[in-house]
Amino acid sequence: MPTTTTQTPLLDRLFEYVEAEHPRSLRGLNEARGQDPKRFAQIAELYLRWLVEARGETGIGAAADAFAQFSTDVNLAQARYERDGAYANKTFAEVYQDHYSDAEAMDGYLWGIYLTNFLWAHHYQIMTFFQDRFMTRLGGEARLVEIAPGHGGWGVWALAHMRGAALEGYDISPQSIKIANSVAEAAGVGGRAKYVEKDALDLEKVDAESADGCICSFLVEHLEDPQHLYKVISHLLKPGGVGFITGALTAAQVDHIYEYRYESELVTMCENAGLRVLETLSANPFRTLPKAKFMPRSMALLVQKRVNAIY
Amino acid sequence: MSQTLEELNEVFQEVFEDDELEVQAQTSARDIDEWDSLMHVNLVLAVESRFDVRFTSTEVAGLKDVGELMALVEKKQA
Repeated sequence: MPTTTTQTPLLDRLFEYVEAEHPRSLRGLNEARGQDPKRFAQIAELYLRWLVEARGETGIGAAADAFAQFSTDVNLAQARYERDGAYANKTFAEVYQDHYSDAEAMDGYLWGIYLTNFLWAHHYQIMTFFQDRFMTRLGGEARLVEIAPGHGGWGVWALAHMRGAALEGYDISPQSIKIANSVAEAAGVGGRAKYVEKDALDLEKVDAESADGCICSFLVEHLEDPQHLYKVISHLLKPGGVGFITGALTAAQVDHIYEYRYESELVTMCENAGLRVLETLSANPFRTLPKAKFMPRSMALLVQKRVNAIY
Repeated sequence: MSQTLEELNEVFQEVFEDDELEVQAQTSARDIDEWDSLMHVNLVLAVESRFDVRFTSTEVAGLKDVGELMALVEKKQA
């Protein structure tokens, strides 16, 4: 008698773990999966396979714990933001001191975020936008630059699709460099990914107009002066090169500093930096706090470096 | 029922808008359908307000049931 085996053993294991250990998170996971179960399973299984390769068999449980903690951090920060009307931190120095300098906390933070890529329903939408709109625009041998790769999942996913592409990633956090390297190795693209510890805002010293594609995911809201970062992206892209930028709007997090309120603010910053906005997606969580004044959103922008035109 | 549990029960009734709700120390998210991650934060803020305490995210993320919440409140008040 033939035995039946599941096609998504790691995803099944993740759901079983969350149901047992973090039942309050299960509704959100089901919302993410329910949008397109087949595609969700493909993406999730891929990400989880890299996770297990990088962290071992206990990696799923540890990352799920980190995800639950991170989600609580975010929800609590959002609730306090609703009450206070402003993000808790105003300067990068405050955030660096309280969060980024703590290697152990950063480890959990990064793996928690790694899972939010597909376990938060609205971030899953951003992922499919990245796959459908950004990856498909680049040639197979593209040179990619990733600014603040964090866990590395975005760029590694792009490399896994574009077999001849190469990527350089720059992040201020040593823990990020370590994790991004481990994810790249786990995905079998380590030979095409190089991660360097460097402040994103110093990238104007990196070769101008050298990248076919640039990925910068959820960094702009962590800066006091994000406009400068858009200029860096423009500096790095070849004329006609495309960028994938994401940012958070009225979405509190312990390390969010710059409070975007309108989607047009990100668009304007792109335009001011010489980038043409080709497409956008603004996505929000399926549930918000009762009587919320602020709708937390995540926005993705597909941009292109202008060639000659001023406008 | 302890005084803390009685007061927690009132908070639960307010947050989940259910006057019939009766929580026990072992009551968990499995017993209350609406007790998801977002409602948990609402609950935490309501408990903070009711007992005049402040929790960290780490303290509240891993709470398994009402008993653990009750113990945390009493620890903060001690």
